[in-house]
Amino acid sequence: MNEMTSRSSSPASGTTRQTVLGQTVVLKGELSADEDLLIEGQFEGTLSLEQHCLTVGATGQVKAEIKARQAVILGTLTGKVAAKEKVEIRRSGHLVGDLATGAVAIEEGAYFKGSIEILRDEPKESPRGASPRSAAPPSAAPSSAAPRSASGTSG
Amino acid sequence: MFPTKTFFDSQGSRTTPPTAPSRALEWLWQNLRDVKHPHILDCGPAHPATINLLLKRGAKLYISDLIALAQEFDPKFVRRLGKTTTFLTDAFLENIPPIPPDSLSVIACWHLFDLLPHEAIPGLLTRLWSYLRTGGLLFCLLREPNLASGAGTRWWLDSLMTFRSDPETNLPFRYPVLTNRDMERLVPGGNFKTFLTRSGRREIVAIK
Repeated sequence: MNEMTSRSSSPASGTTRQTVLGQTVVLKGELSADEDLLIEGQFEGTLSLEQHCLTVGATGQVKAEIKARQAVILGTLTGKVAAKEKVEIRRSGHLVGDLATGAVAIEEGAYFKGSIEILRDEPKESPRGASPRSAAPPSAAPSSAAPRSASGTSG
Repeated sequence: MFPTKTFFDSQGSRTTPPTAPSRALEWLWQNLRDVKHPHILDCGPAHPATINLLLKRGAKLYISDLIALAQEFDPKFVRRLGKTTTFLTDAFLENIPPIPPDSLSVIACWHLFDLLPHEAIPGLLTRLWSYLRTGGLLFCLLREPNLASGAGTRWWLDSLMTFRSDPETNLPFRYPVLTNRDMERLVPGGNFKTFLTRSGRREIVAIK
C-alpha cells in the first residue's frame, strides 16, 4: 500500500475521495480533511473529518480525539470519538475511549471499554408541557414494583 | 426506531441458551421507570445485544469487562508473600473507565463477585458504590452452594427483563459461596433485595 495516497472512486451515487495513511506511516499532530480517511498506520493527535468517514484499518493504531460523520474501527483506537451518524466497531476492532454518536454497531468479538452516549435531538419542551413529576428524580423506594413471589428480601 | 444495528455471530451449530426471566430486572426497571436517560455501568463483556437494548432504553453506557479480568486471574492483580496471597484491588479497579461520582443509576455486575476472592470485594464494592447516585441500583448474581456448573462469565440481556448466558463460558468456582449474611456486611447500608430462582443462583439488587 502506498504510504499516503489520495484516491477517488466512482460509486453509482457519485464520486468519493479517500485518503489512505498506509501501514508504514507514523503521524502525530492535527489532521483535518474534506474527504474520507483510511488509517492503516499509526496516528496520534486530533482528527477532524466533520462530513466524512474515518476508517481505522485492521493494522491501524490511532490515539486521538476524533470528529467525523461516521467511524469504522477494524484496528486499535484509543481516545474520544464524536461521530454524528454512526460508529461501527468490527470484530477485529479494539476501542478504548468515549463514544458520542447517533448510532452504534458493535460486532460480536470486538473489544470495547469506555462509554457510549447516543446523541439525540431532544424535542424542546414547552414550559407548560414540562411535568414536574417526570423531572423529579425517582424515589429509591419502589412502589408497586415490589417483588411478588420474590422470595427473600433483606435490608 | 432507534438507529442501532448489531452484527450477530451466525454459528449455526451452536444452540441458543434458554432465556431466563428475571424478577430482579423487572423490579429494577420498574424502579427506574421515571429515569429517561439512566447512566449504566456494565461490568461484563460488551455483548452487542445488551448494548443495543440499553441504548434503546435511553441509557448512557459505561463498559468495562471486569469479569474477563477476574476469570483470567492475571498475576498482576495478585501479590504472593510466602503462603499469603493478596489480591491487589486497586490495580484491578484501574480498569474501570472514568465515571463521575454519584452519577450512575445502575451497575450490572453479573457473576463478578463469585469470581473474586472475598477480600477483594469490600474495596470493589466501595468504589462501585461511589459511582451510584442516591437510589442507584447494583445488580449482581450470586451462586447457590449447590450450583456445580460454575459461574457464567458471559451474560447478556435478551430483553430488559430477561437474560441469557453461554454455558460454554462457565468456570469452576475458586472461592466459597457469598451468603446473604456476607452481603449484609458488604453492601454499604445493608439495603438489598434477594430474588431466589430455580437455576441455582440468587439475583441481588442493592440500593444506595
